[in-house]
This record gives sequence, C-alpha cells and structure tokens, in this order.
Amino acid sequence: MNCSGIARTLIAVCLAGTAGVMCQTPTDPVKGPPPKPDPASVERGKATFVGACGFCHGASAKGGEKGPDLLRSVVVLDDENGNTIGPVILRGRPDKGMPRFPFTPQQIADVAAFLHDSIKNAIERDNYKILNIVTGDAKAGEAYFNGAGRCSSCHSVGGDLKGIGARYEPVTLQGKFLQPNYTWTEGTPPHTVFAITVTVTLSSGESFTGALVSYDDFNVALRDASGAYHSFTRVNGNPQVEIHNKLQAHVDLLSRYTDADIHNLTAYLVTLK
Amino acid sequence: MKIELLLAGFCLAAGLPASAQILDPALLTKPATDAWPTYHGDYSGRRFSTLTQINQSNVKHLTLAWIFRVKTGLTPNAIVGGEGPEPQNPPTNPGTWTIKATPLMVNGILYFCTPDNAYAVDARSGHELWHFAWKSKGGDHIGNRGMGMYGSWLFFETPDNYLVSLDAQTGKERWHKQIADLKQEYFSTVAPIVVGNHVLAGVSGDSLDVPGFLEAHDPETGDVQWKWWSEPLKQGDPGWDSWPDEYAMRHGGGMTWIPGTYDPSLHLYYLGTGNPNPVLTGRSRKGDNLYTCSIVALNVDTGKLAWYFQPSPHDTHDWDAAQTPVLIDAEIDGKPRKLLGQANRNGYFFLLDRTNGKNVLTAPMIRSMNWSKGIAPNGQPIPDPAKEATIEGVLVSPQTSGATNWPPPSYDPQTGFFYVGTAQEYSMFYLTDTDPHPEGWGAAERDAGHLGGDLEAIDIKTGKIAWDHHFPFTGGAVGILTTAGKLLFTGDGAQHLVAFDPANGDILWHAGLADDLSNGPETYMLDGRQYLVAGAGDSLYAFVLEP
Repeated sequence: MNCSGIARTLIAVCLAGTAGVMCQTPTDPVKGPPPKPDPASVERGKATFVGACGFCHGASAKGGEKGPDLLRSVVVLDDENGNTIGPVILRGRPDKGMPRFPFTPQQIADVAAFLHDSIKNAIERDNYKILNIVTGDAKAGEAYFNGAGRCSSCHSVGGDLKGIGARYEPVTLQGKFLQPNYTWTEGTPPHTVFAITVTVTLSSGESFTGALVSYDDFNVALRDASGAYHSFTRVNGNPQVEIHNKLQAHVDLLSRYTDADIHNLTAYLVTLK
Repeated sequence: MKIELLLAGFCLAAGLPASAQILDPALLTKPATDAWPTYHGDYSGRRFSTLTQINQSNVKHLTLAWIFRVKTGLTPNAIVGGEGPEPQNPPTNPGTWTIKATPLMVNGILYFCTPDNAYAVDARSGHELWHFAWKSKGGDHIGNRGMGMYGSWLFFETPDNYLVSLDAQTGKERWHKQIADLKQEYFSTVAPIVVGNHVLAGVSGDSLDVPGFLEAHDPETGDVQWKWWSEPLKQGDPGWDSWPDEYAMRHGGGMTWIPGTYDPSLHLYYLGTGNPNPVLTGRSRKGDNLYTCSIVALNVDTGKLAWYFQPSPHDTHDWDAAQTPVLIDAEIDGKPRKLLGQANRNGYFFLLDRTNGKNVLTAPMIRSMNWSKGIAPNGQPIPDPAKEATIEGVLVSPQTSGATNWPPPSYDPQTGFFYVGTAQEYSMFYLTDTDPHPEGWGAAERDAGHLGGDLEAIDIKTGKIAWDHHFPFTGGAVGILTTAGKLLFTGDGAQHLVAFDPANGDILWHAGLADDLSNGPETYMLDGRQYLVAGAGDSLYAFVLEP
C-alpha cells in the first residue's frame, strides 16, 4: 500500500486525545463499503460449504488436496449473488473431477455469501482480529517494570496502575504503554493534563507556559492554564522556545525494548486486575 | 525556446493536426525550462531545474501569482466520461480532490488529474480551460500521480482501471481501455510515462493476492504493445526459483504504483516494483520473491528485463520499492559513472550502476530502523526473520508507510546531494492469519510511536547524511524540487511551502498554504518569468518574483 507519512501532525493528534494516526486508506464513498452479507446466510452457507465442498476445497475454502483455493478464484471474485458460482455448482466440472451438486437457489446464494464474506475478511485488514498476545513471562515483566524499564520511577501498581489489567484488553493495554494518549484527566477536581507543554520566553523576559498547540519553524502556539491562546512568530531562533514532553520516557523506550520485554511487560500488566 | 520548426517535422511524422497544444518530444530528453512535459519534468527523475531567475538572492521576493482550486465530480461544465453509474452526490472522499499529480506544463497550459478528474489550466493565470469527470465503477481513490502526453494527446489512469486518452485542446475523450480487473481489487494511480510511441501504464492494489504488471500501450489506438509481469508466472520463467511454487508466484503482488525513469542512451526504463503478497507474512512464499520490492531495468521497446536489484528481499513489512529511481551522472573515484539512486521505503539509500544494476553503495537513512541484520556483499540488506509478524507481536521501524514513500525526492548535481523526506516511526506487527496459506495482509499493524521526521541531504558518493533538518512533530515523505538558483523547495508538514539552501539546509523563504504540500513542486519559464507551482490539498499555488 502506498501512502504518505507527511499528513500526520502529532500535536493535533495529541490534542485530539487519540493515539497516533495510522497510514490507512479511508473508507471510500465512491466504492462505498462493500455490501455486508446477511450473517445468517453466511452461517448457512458455511455449514453447506463445509459439508459438501470442504472435503476438496478445504473448510476455509482456501484450497484442499483436490480443489483450488476459492478465495482467490476469479470466478468467485467476479460473482454477484451466485450468478457465476451457481452454474459451476449445478453443472460441476467433470473435466477436473468436480461432481454436480443439486443445490437449491437459496443454498447457492448462501454459499456465495459465505465465500464473499471470507474474501471481505481478507481484504479488510483494519478489522483483522489480533490473537492471544499474552504469551510473555509476567515475572520477567515485573522485573522489567521495576528495573531496566524504569516504569516504577513514574508509575505504581498500587496507585495509578491499580486494576489496569481489568480495564483494558491486552492489545489496548500494550498500545497504552508503547504510545500513551497525550492527554488525560487527573486530580481533584478532575482536570485535563497535556503531556506536551511549552515555555516561550520573549526577549523582554516575559514568558508564557502552557499546552503546546502547534510548533514549526515559523510559529509556535500554546494554550495557558486559564485557557487563553497565545501564538508567536519565530524569527532567527526568537523567541526562545522550550518544549517538555511528560511522556518522553515512553518515546525513549522504543529504541530500547526487546520484543521479549514488550511481551513480558504485557503479561505482567495483565495480571494487575 | 524555438520549437515551431521542430514541431512541423514532428506533426507530419506522427500524422497529427498542428495545434498549440502539441508536445515536442525533444522536450522529454532534456532538462525542462519552458515546459514540464512529463511527471518528473524530464526522464531522469532528479527534479532539478536549470532555471536561475528565482535564486538565493531574490527568493524572499516570491509572491503569489494565482491559486487554482479543483472542483471535482460532475460539475456543470464538466466533460463526462466513464462506465460507472451516475453519481447521486458530489464526492466526499478527500482523495478525489487532493492533488498528488505533478502537472504537465506544455505551451502555457497545465494538465493534471485527481482520481476521476482531469484538468487543463492556464499556466499564466490559473484559469480553468476544461474539466473532465469520470463516472467511476469504484476502486480505491487514494490518489492519482498525473498524466502523460504524446503530441496533442493526454493519458491518465482511473481508480477503476481504465487508461483514458483525451484531446489536450478540448478535453474530449479519444478512447479508454480497461487495463485491470476491479473485482480482483486492482486499482490505478500511476502517471503514465510516454517514451517514444509507448505509453507505459502500471497498476496498484495489494488487498488481495494478485500479480502486478506494466503495460506499454500504443498512443494512437490504446492497444497493448507488450506486458511485463513483475513476477514469474510458471516454473522456468526468470526468477521462478525465488518462489516455493507457481501458486505463490501467481498471487505474489508486485504492483507498479509509481512512474519510472528512462535513459535514452541505454534505452532502459527503470521502475521500482511493489511489495509481495500476502503482504505482512511470508510463510506461503519462502524465498526472495522476485521481482517484488525491486528496481528493474526494462527494454522500453520489448518490455524484457535487462537487470534487477532487490532492496527488500522477501519483504514482510509492505516496504515496496515504488520510490523514484533517480538517474544520476556523477564521478565515483574519479571516473564518470551512469548511476541510479533510490531512497527506499525500507530505510536505506541505494546507489546502483544503471548500466548493469550492480550496487555501488547502500546506506541507512534513519536511526530507528531495526529490521535488518546488516548489508550483504551485493548491497542487499539482510532481513532479520525475528522481525516478521508473530501472534504476540514484534516492534518494527519503519512502519508499513516506510522511512519514505512515493512523493518524489530530488538530486541536485550542483551539490551532489540526494534530498528526501524521511520518518522515524514504530509499529507492532501481529500475525492474525495462521493458515498455511494466508490471504491479503495476513497480519495487523498497530501504531507504536513517532520520533518525528527529517529532510535529509545524502551525499551520493559516501551515503553519509550531509545535513538534515529535523521536524519533531511532522516530517516524512514529501515532494522536493531543486534548482540551479541554489534553492530547494518542499513542504514542512505544517502547511508551509519552504525554500532551503541545498548546500546546508538553511531556511531562506516560506509561505503559508491552506494545506500540506501534497505533490512534487515544479518550475517553468513563461514570458520571461519563472513560475514555481506546488499542489497542496485541493489547490495549486503559483509563485513568481515581484515584478
């Protein structure tokens, strides 16, 4: 897939309170979302397929000892509601050893729905289901948390992380330590915290501090504690700009983690129910 | 430039009517000055202009000449083509109005397209001359890189896989030819490149496991002259032993997303091919998977492979080699060489001998890269199998979107530097399809963190980064133009068009736009004035010096 990395403005993403933006193809209104096959029809089709066709084509239709992979079949890809699949089912392919199957029109439509649903599941990679990622060693994860990872210098399993393993699915939990949200709520009364703050100091000595709104070679903007917005033009390094990222430790870990560290830390955090 | 005399001969030879819109083919083989006749301005892909009117001493006096904002869909004045249904509503996908094309500029008129839309615009004033709208049957509307031109005929591709030819003067359709099957999830994005009487058309799409190809079409009739498959189709074909079986190679991907470059003296067309399929897992396709993720040299008259170099053997991270193969003439160790440079999505810069594909040097472009065990003697990176997607996940940099991507880089012969926008990002890769025959992508990616991006100047003789400009929150792949006026024009990811000093990275000028730069900037001379034109979002912006 071909997409550009330039369209990510991390600050905007951070302030929107979401994790980073993936380079993904947006849903295409011209193409539209593919029509969703009726789930009941898909289920019936699957049962029919496994019983009658799976012996040769495999239960997942990806091909078996005798029959080809139907999910990559041009006949199937071209099909609409059984119009090209149906004749093959009804007539068979005697030259290739495929017998005829006297399916009803409903059975043909159901088998077609099952095959198209399987193809759709292969195409729609954003919806792929992530499997069990909790395979690490929780003990080693705990040692990493308190040792090399230096997580315990900011976090406490009895405090801010209490019960975190019960609050999130493992994949979400892992994503949260790899790349936390850049805004969160804390304190009493609850208030929003912005991870990235900036201090702008003018030549007069006057300075402004607040959440970073935008930053580039020509401008810097912030929102101070009162909610007021301030922006400044940057010329030849003036005014002076200092950026602070409360989550810098998470960024720095990216180049230090081994995959085992990530798996172990995940296994440990999952136990914090 | 005096081209009228050349034109007379050309028109007779090609049997074309003489008109103001005709492209002199001689323009294609030399650096563009009063034209931008092909995607990269010339065949080399270096995107270096010899123009000097705009230069370091006066760049601060650039001023806006005009803005052209595209109107997409079946507008009241649109010339309508296409075989799809009548759209009920105006387009809502930003892809249909984002300008990724580098417009052609021929005889004072700009020609470019966005998905399903083509435009002719007065290069002096920004006024629209015609708008052609295509009724689409579907396909991914992710982007369109632009047009090719032969005489007075224009060529572009549509998301639903038609190669369309228009009359440049009127915008009326001459013909359209289907080049690939939409139902197999092919779609089309590339700007056709015209070489001699060949219109070179590629295809895109890796959602399903289908093979890629490049076709040469006859500019007059649209008929296919030759077709090059980016993979072997059967045992015994070149490259077949880099696949486990015919089934894998026939479903192995290798799309031809991006325009190539051409060396007239060697008669070779250079192309970077797409990633293999299934995309993120290689279990069902053991081997190097030729000629995916490769830089290939094809004989432009026959489509026969002359040589290849594969930057990502057995890729499992979507790092296609569909970045511009830039043709560079330079001295290496005191000897003049015909070279080819590519800043690859996998994080390495490659310099090859373009006569034979032999590697001259391989150098890393980003520090975060963690997938390679080093460089083999032949210059190929050695993938670390431990960084292929697993069920529990592996942390990999770059992300699938790469250290860089399709936006065109630039090579400046005055500095000897190759300029590219890079990103340093991490993702987790999780294997999701454990079948022995996975389909589609086979694994899921989750964003895991960003270290910002850089505009880099790579010294082609050493591979060392001569200077870089860091963008802590933006950066990444971006279109770049260099000029003999000692200027580098590009975007900063913060909606500015910026001029840098190509020698040291100093910022010399900038202008705020309404969107991020979305194409490769270009420049041309008209009526004694040098224009700088850049596409950002739905608009083209033209700059000139204050009079």
